[in-house]
Amino acid sequence: MRKRWQGEGRISRTSIGVVACALMVLVLTAEPLRAQTVDYTKYHTYDELTSALQGLVRSHSNIATLVSIGETRGGRSIWAVEIANRAGVPVDERPALLMAANLEGDHLIGSELALATVEWLLTEYGSNDEVRRRIDEQAFFVVPRVNPDGAEAVFGPVATWQRGNLTPYDDDNDGRVDEDPPEDLNGDGLITFMRVRDPSGPYMTDPADARLLKRADASKGESGGWALYWEGRDNDGDGFYNEDGVGGVDLNRNFQHEYPYYAKDAGRHMVSEAESIALMEYVIRRRGVAAILTFGASDNLISSPGGRGELAAAAALSLFDQAEASTSGARAVGVMSTATAGFGRGGRGGRGGAPAGGGRGGGGQQPATMIDTTDLEYFRTIAAKYQELTGIRRAAVTRAPRGAFFEYGYYQFGVPSFSTPGWGIEMAAADTAQGGQAGGGGQRGGGAGGSPVATDNDKRLLDWFESENIDGFVDWTPFDHPQLGEVEIGGFKPYVTSNPPAAQIDELLAGHAQFALYLSSLFPRVRIASTTVTDHGGGVFRIEAEIENTGYLPTAAAQGVRAGAVQPVMVQLGVDPEAIITGDVKTNFISALAGSGTRRSFQWVIRGQPGARIELKLRSQKSGSESMMLTLR
Amino acid sequence: MRMTTNPVRPVLAALLLSVLVATSVSAQDRPGIQGSDPPHKVRLDFNRWHDTAELYEDLRTLERAYPKFLSMRSLGKSHGGRDLMLMTINNPDTGSEMSKAAMYIEANVHGNEIQGSEVTIYTVWYLMENYGRIEQITKLVDERVFYIVPTVNPDGRDYFLHGTGAGSRTGHVPVDDDNDGLFDEDGPDDLNSNNNIEQIRKYVPGEGNYRLNAADPRLMEPVPPGEFGDWILLGSEGIDNDGDGRVNEDGPGGYDGNRNWASDWQPEYIQGGAMDYPFQLPEAKAVNDFLMSHPNIAGVQSYHNSGGMILRGPGAEWQGDYPAADNRVYDQLGEHGQRLLPYYDYLVIWSGLYTVHGGFIDWTNDGLGMISFSNELWNGGQYFNSPALKEQQQDPDSPIRPDLSGLFFDDYLEFGDQFVDWTPFEHPQYGLVELGGWKKTRGRIPPRFMQEELAHRNMAFTLFQAGEMPMMALGETMAERVGGDVWRVWVDITNDRIAPTITARAAENHVVPPDLLHLEGAAEVISAGWVRNKHAPGATDMIDQADLERIIIRNGHPGRTTRTIEYIVRGSGALDLRYESVKGGTVQTRINLR
Repeated sequence: MRKRWQGEGRISRTSIGVVACALMVLVLTAEPLRAQTVDYTKYHTYDELTSALQGLVRSHSNIATLVSIGETRGGRSIWAVEIANRAGVPVDERPALLMAANLEGDHLIGSELALATVEWLLTEYGSNDEVRRRIDEQAFFVVPRVNPDGAEAVFGPVATWQRGNLTPYDDDNDGRVDEDPPEDLNGDGLITFMRVRDPSGPYMTDPADARLLKRADASKGESGGWALYWEGRDNDGDGFYNEDGVGGVDLNRNFQHEYPYYAKDAGRHMVSEAESIALMEYVIRRRGVAAILTFGASDNLISSPGGRGELAAAAALSLFDQAEASTSGARAVGVMSTATAGFGRGGRGGRGGAPAGGGRGGGGQQPATMIDTTDLEYFRTIAAKYQELTGIRRAAVTRAPRGAFFEYGYYQFGVPSFSTPGWGIEMAAADTAQGGQAGGGGQRGGGAGGSPVATDNDKRLLDWFESENIDGFVDWTPFDHPQLGEVEIGGFKPYVTSNPPAAQIDELLAGHAQFALYLSSLFPRVRIASTTVTDHGGGVFRIEAEIENTGYLPTAAAQGVRAGAVQPVMVQLGVDPEAIITGDVKTNFISALAGSGTRRSFQWVIRGQPGARIELKLRSQKSGSESMMLTLR
Repeated sequence: MRMTTNPVRPVLAALLLSVLVATSVSAQDRPGIQGSDPPHKVRLDFNRWHDTAELYEDLRTLERAYPKFLSMRSLGKSHGGRDLMLMTINNPDTGSEMSKAAMYIEANVHGNEIQGSEVTIYTVWYLMENYGRIEQITKLVDERVFYIVPTVNPDGRDYFLHGTGAGSRTGHVPVDDDNDGLFDEDGPDDLNSNNNIEQIRKYVPGEGNYRLNAADPRLMEPVPPGEFGDWILLGSEGIDNDGDGRVNEDGPGGYDGNRNWASDWQPEYIQGGAMDYPFQLPEAKAVNDFLMSHPNIAGVQSYHNSGGMILRGPGAEWQGDYPAADNRVYDQLGEHGQRLLPYYDYLVIWSGLYTVHGGFIDWTNDGLGMISFSNELWNGGQYFNSPALKEQQQDPDSPIRPDLSGLFFDDYLEFGDQFVDWTPFEHPQYGLVELGGWKKTRGRIPPRFMQEELAHRNMAFTLFQAGEMPMMALGETMAERVGGDVWRVWVDITNDRIAPTITARAAENHVVPPDLLHLEGAAEVISAGWVRNKHAPGATDMIDQADLERIIIRNGHPGRTTRTIEYIVRGSGALDLRYESVKGGTVQTRINLR
């Protein structure tokens, strides 16, 4: 039997793969998650996710809280689970790991990984010392579904590729909003693609696989012959097919770093959406957050950042991009040349115009766009650990992270910040991820070599479907289109390139839960390591103090220092400034203190009363505060 | 061929007529003009500085006096809980707000830049007092809508006016400037209780870097390199409030309400004062929500101080200059403004002032497609503003030579009102010092007696901009039988103002809905195109759009331009042609095929 990707590509509540999967868990997972109460054989709807979260929090109410951080246009609460033993330092001031999933509404696997991590941490608290320490001293903030409205669309009657939220948006700026969505013409419950014989069409059959198309290269003597569209009608009669569908804003393109200004899916402006505002307001009020882990369509974990701090190139889905390209001209309709308008022709660029030689620069510092070289080793070490724990070697489809939340997390919030699709089409040849695979034998989805560049990732996916026995591609089938005439409908099914089959969810969970714990174990830990008080007589005392960072990460990433986003460590002696005779000033700041036992010394010579008690205060944003009373003697 | 002539420029015709009428009526025929000015219905003062409550009270007075035109409402609350009041000026007899191009005018985003608010009150007052009296004003109020927000930073305004004037550029969301975990805990202090923050100077014989001006010891001047003076300056009046050994290191707020906007927004390390994300500040959010829901706004003015500038974007060089078509529009407006505003220069923000990322008018231009200026009110050159006095200032023996001119002006025109003489003070951290210097209302703000002229001239520039917002009209129409029931139809489409209906930048960014040309009637459209030259035979630029009954004109209609649309239609009877523009209005005409 061919393993169906959840019933013709849709996410159904009951999975055909349940039985197979239950068997596989036993075989595959080296460290199976213990005592699971949540069912991970399917993707969870919003209501199912909500009740799973409520159940987990209810049964671990000593260490878990469920809060709503905002409400969507569709009226759904955006949940955050806060995991911390509330005794001690206020939770919002603690070092914390923030996890956020499902910014892209179609990325359901992220929600499952986040949910399972919550469950694992809660159930391990009683028996796992490492987990207990993190929950007692630190905090985990987990937002498993940032885009519940978008996610819910995945469970609708027709699978549409929708990724954004429900904010209406005039994608083609023609004065009509959401007026030309795709239609499921052949009634298979899926929006796929239409290819049409068209002498002026830019695409040719891909020699690597006749199911795929590639752009013809005239310089190589190639000619096209196919046009490609999204499945559906031209509802508004503008000559474009399906150029303005329902919603929406892609939340992971709506944040402040390298924001894609005025792109049709990025919102009217940065942080324009209820969901993105909710996440921003949540994180900026929790400056103890020391690392961010997101699950989404971009990656800096499966592929480590390069030597200059650049991320690996995105692995696009060509068929998707080709269909998108068919609508891009809709935004250019009706542009008139102003030269014919009777206005004075040509001429000046304007009195206030930029002087010659303008362009970038001149205006001062540029925002950073690559990982700082000082921070890079930390990123690479962490990515290597991710690869080791999860076994994932290659993601299915990724995209460049312009406007992504995790990029804000590093470049502006100033902490190590990560994104991973959370699954892959090539896994390590380790025993944890291999043996029992249906269709088994060798690494998953190999055989990509030698394909033409334009579609090699598409071809790789088709090969992976083959090896995994996944029904992820609709074979091209003739259809009589009311406007285009004879077309063929087919192509990748929605969501198969953003989520693994439900049967594979379970094997991904343990590695990600352990990675979350690992990340939280790396935080800086700054303490007052030693103090001495020396009496020089005559009411003059010398105070010496050493502070030490015993954690792995520095107290601030280099980018956190550059961005001024992470407060310096403050060391303050509780005396009147006038009482200090010489030495350090009363209040000292260290912009960043490296980890792994790095120390810094201070000394003050002060005037004081013998026997007086003086407070030495240490304050570190990402590793808590400490205060010590010293006696002058 | 049959030509019918619609009123091409009904407004201009009416204006012309009214000028004739006005000149033919003698002063004695008009009530109230008996050799003196007509009395004002509402009397307001434009020679003192008003706090937020007083501004709003003036607006309420005007609203009560002119209820047909004026309506006030709050756009939202400031961080400190003060309303951000909006005054709308609209004549309901000439159409609803959204059917007319609107001019948005605001002021005071920086709390200490107070005189712009007074300009906005003056504007409301002037438009209302002169409606029906001055023809141009009447026409302007009839054609346009005005949205006026006198202060977008009422917390900062009141902090400036009620307090000592220190640190009041910012808004008042607390920020921990010095990273000690405390917020706004160490600002300046009015140590000598004179409701002013002065400078601190200390006498350090032979060890300082300042000396007293030989001609007037109230003035401090830096000593030349290599010499020593007897004085040092120790910053603003204040003490170490939080006992951390530093003075005045964490005053109120600490951000810039004019860097929290969504075009070229940059994080704090690139643009100080930007906050964490655009529209994080309640004031910016309230204003933006209003602007985004009012696409009829075609013009923006945000009054600042000082320096005497008519500023436009971009705020940063790396944004690149505006498209040439937009520059031409800005130049026509800005250069006109220079003639209305002596001592003011028309400049681009980044090259003429300094680099600004995430500034307000960058957002309104780039993100909302509104032609936007920011005037920097008041130029110090206006203290001595005749060529003869400027000449005299070159004389080193003159009491108004540059270093002495400020105190001269204060001594003899303001009678010493603006300068606090140096007086000794025992400072807890610095020991014996002296406090003294200029008051908060001097320097960036004009002398009160010069404010009304400032208000009027700046208003005149803004009203010129408002008048030159786009305004669509349909002119001559023509219907000619080509053969059988096939007709050629020509219609002239005109925008006689300077500004286009859609700026080139707005079209690039897709932030303004396109203009639409609708044709309705019992006819089939065979083709449509733009006639290159109505008066000479030649080609027509065919419109390559699938739906010719709803033609999209994405980059709108340029200013001071007439275009002629041609339809080839098959049919008979009446055709209705409608031009719809979000900022240029909707106009309609009927063509009969017979």
